[in-house]
Amino acid sequence: MRSTIRARAGRTLGIVALIAAALAPGTTSVHAADGPLILKVGTDQEFSGLNPWQSVYVLDYEVFTLNYDLLVGYDKDLNYTEGFATSWTTSADGLTTTFKIRPGMKWSDGQPATADDVVYTYGFVLDALAKETTLGSGYLDGYVSSAGVKSVKAIDPETVEITTETPTPLLLAAYVPILPKHIWSKYSLEQIANAKADGFFANDPPVVGTGPYQAVQYDTQGKFMKFERNKNYWGKQGAADQIIITHFENNDTMTQALKNGELDYARGINADAFDSLQGQPNIVPVEGFANGYSYLTFNGYPKAIKDGGSSTRATADPAFRDALAWGVDLQQLVDKVLAGHGTPGTSLLPPFQAKWYVAPDPSVLRHFDLAKADEKLTAAGYKKDASGNRLDKEGKPINLRMTWPASESELATAAQFITEWWGQLGIKVNAGVTEDQTLLVDLTPPEYDPPGKADFDTYMWGWVGDVDPTSLLEPFTTDQIGGSSDTFWSNARFDELFKKQGQTIDETERKGMLKEMQEIFYQEVPNIPLYYDSELHAYRTDHFGGWQNQPPDTGTPLFQFGPIGYTLLTDATAAPSPSASEAAPSAGASATAAPGDSGSPTSSGGANTGLLLALGAVVVVAIVGTLAVRRRGAKATEEE
Amino acid sequence: MATRFIARRFAQAALTIFLIVILNFILFRAMPGSPERVLARNPNVSPEAIQQIRERWGLDKPLIPDQLIAYIGATFRGDLGDSFAEQGRPVTEVVGGRIGPTLLLFGLGEILAIVIGLALGAYAGWRRGGSIDLVGNGVSLILYSMPYFLLGMILLLIFSSTLHWFPSFGMTTLGVDHDSPLAYLADLSAHLVLPVATVALGLIGQYSILMRSSIIETMSDEYITTARAKGITDTRILRNHALPNAMLPTVSLIAINLGYVVAGAITVEVVFNWPGLGTLTVDALKSRDYAVLQGIFLVLSISVVFANLGADMIYGRLDPRVRA
Repeated sequence: MRSTIRARAGRTLGIVALIAAALAPGTTSVHAADGPLILKVGTDQEFSGLNPWQSVYVLDYEVFTLNYDLLVGYDKDLNYTEGFATSWTTSADGLTTTFKIRPGMKWSDGQPATADDVVYTYGFVLDALAKETTLGSGYLDGYVSSAGVKSVKAIDPETVEITTETPTPLLLAAYVPILPKHIWSKYSLEQIANAKADGFFANDPPVVGTGPYQAVQYDTQGKFMKFERNKNYWGKQGAADQIIITHFENNDTMTQALKNGELDYARGINADAFDSLQGQPNIVPVEGFANGYSYLTFNGYPKAIKDGGSSTRATADPAFRDALAWGVDLQQLVDKVLAGHGTPGTSLLPPFQAKWYVAPDPSVLRHFDLAKADEKLTAAGYKKDASGNRLDKEGKPINLRMTWPASESELATAAQFITEWWGQLGIKVNAGVTEDQTLLVDLTPPEYDPPGKADFDTYMWGWVGDVDPTSLLEPFTTDQIGGSSDTFWSNARFDELFKKQGQTIDETERKGMLKEMQEIFYQEVPNIPLYYDSELHAYRTDHFGGWQNQPPDTGTPLFQFGPIGYTLLTDATAAPSPSASEAAPSAGASATAAPGDSGSPTSSGGANTGLLLALGAVVVVAIVGTLAVRRRGAKATEEE
Repeated sequence: MATRFIARRFAQAALTIFLIVILNFILFRAMPGSPERVLARNPNVSPEAIQQIRERWGLDKPLIPDQLIAYIGATFRGDLGDSFAEQGRPVTEVVGGRIGPTLLLFGLGEILAIVIGLALGAYAGWRRGGSIDLVGNGVSLILYSMPYFLLGMILLLIFSSTLHWFPSFGMTTLGVDHDSPLAYLADLSAHLVLPVATVALGLIGQYSILMRSSIIETMSDEYITTARAKGITDTRILRNHALPNAMLPTVSLIAINLGYVVAGAITVEVVFNWPGLGTLTVDALKSRDYAVLQGIFLVLSISVVFANLGADMIYGRLDPRVRA
């Protein structure tokens, strides 16, 4: 009688185990044997939505280049190729570019896609610029204004003429998706540009575009987007019938999902997880050059700021900055901070920008040399006092604050090393992390609206660029102080060259200007480019094949420029290959893994093991329970 | 008497919620930063554009009184504003869509934890010194002290990555159109197992430890000895006398826990990429999406207030002395 509690417990556990077994995966088939071929992609970025003007992240760009065509596309080598337009010619004076539009092209809903749609899209931006209305987040209209577009005209349904203020290389590079006039012209400027407007047009699915895939589902919780093949697509059709892009909160979970076969592609994997993927069957880790770099910047604000600004005027002195740059071992940082996944920084343009990148001349190239740094500091007027503290020109010991955003947590390691090295130069460094938004506030100078105090000495972050180098150069122009400039550096010659290069079409001429700009930058060191961190992606080869890096030597298949990576994919399971199904993660892979199987681990093989084990657990619990009950009964009577 | 008790409690709850609404607003706006600031790091975006975006979202008006009053007024009209990060989607839609998954996950987890934890704790306390007590106590302490995300990652590693019994993320398998509601349920259940297990294991420890000490305390009361002396069976004593009294502290704990469950929600949901309020909070915090943050915390505050209200009621039923 007393023993019934134990028996009850035993029985309850048994029931729980049975329920668990019943819920075990594989008891009901969740997908048909030959459904659509689905490409599953994971990323750590969040979606902003489907209205391209509201784009903020790389993910948003990826979304709109799947849905829509740019006027001019990119091939696998990042050369211009056909997009919405098939070809173009520029007039002799460089001011007018004539684009030929593909004849017979259709939108995904069957309507004809013509020059009118180009006129609508560019006209829409021009209208917004004229009315000084910011389009969404203001990212895309910037391309049209920096190209100096004056007018857009349709000569006939297959010809568009665009005129610019000056000759410019930026027109072809304008990353603006061509939108269907018959859908978008129904809405006013406000309704498209302003997310707070009444009747805001969010462009909810199903989207109508000329790109290879259109969004048919945007999960209302914003965590994944589903795309379906555009049957009217003018270009090569990729093997995937559907694409699902999912946002992952946790990087490790994303990597696990890739390993499990629940994802075919993962973007933005952590360095250690990346290394663990080497040698895994059917997984290819890809290390792409980043189109950007991480840097350590100095507060170069030229004037004193009340209750703010740098703690020393030294940070505004190029000689000081140059000397300190000799005290940073860039290769060590790459090895220790990035686990080798990157290259030491030199120019402000990363090597990814193969056409424009110019390495510093060996005669001025810096390397790690603390003795030389010491020498240079003293020569520049920064002497050490008796206790070994380095003094600035005002006679104060130099104590530098150093920070980085919480989102770039690996920079903490870089800070540790730099603190150590500069410590040996007699410079104390106080390093600590700052939450992203808070850091954004700390960085703002008085020129921003609302005015800030630029309350920092040094900090570390990164820049990412477009295919055209202009956006990587712009933050260092005087005009951007109060905008994107975080160095507050101002150099008249740099500004002059910046303006000229934005109007130079001849590539050799332009490269000459960019070379000089890179030299000036390297000399004055407004910031120290620390390294060009690699983009770490990985993909599976047992489901899709034909993965093509863009560009081939230095890029990754997806999340680059345009949808070409998706259109080149082939169906890996279509080719007879016994090893492919064995490599599927579930133990005892079921023979019914037909093409179209989305490769989820919940196939019958693994579930059977689960079921068996669960049943086994029930049996064990029941046996133990009964035995214990018997024993307990005996013991209880003893106690009483 | 009972009705006055309830009415008073409701009035208190209403006042608390009103104060929370105000505090919500001030707390989030007090944080440095603003959603549109992140745009400043893109040289394509002009300062004029950034200013215009600030104006659109009402971020340029003075905080107090303009923004605060507008916020209070709108909230009581049921308009929680629009999400900055999600291109103007109404907050009621954004937050509303995420409540279900979190409720499902934590509801199930809590129920499991309560049932198992209380049973375990009660038995361990009743049979103090027995093997279940010793083992149970040890396990409970370990689980209690482990952070949720660690529990989650361990379960993920063992049962998903190594054994492949369960999927590793999300609510349902991506891209699958379920042929029947049963198929959907099966898929959902498979995805639920690991996250619910994480939540349940995390909470079982607390409940069982508390229940155990409650029972031990209750056991030493005189009326229990009397009942035993009268020959009433152990089961009867435990169920009819000891448990109701021992439950009181546990009921309070469950209600208090509801607030902390939020913190747990964030970590568990992040590990399993569960599309609930936890992951929404992380995203909204990063982008300073004030409207969404305020919306989430409003929902949570109301839940906690009502959970405590409910606990008061249950307390009243369990312990007649309180109702007076």
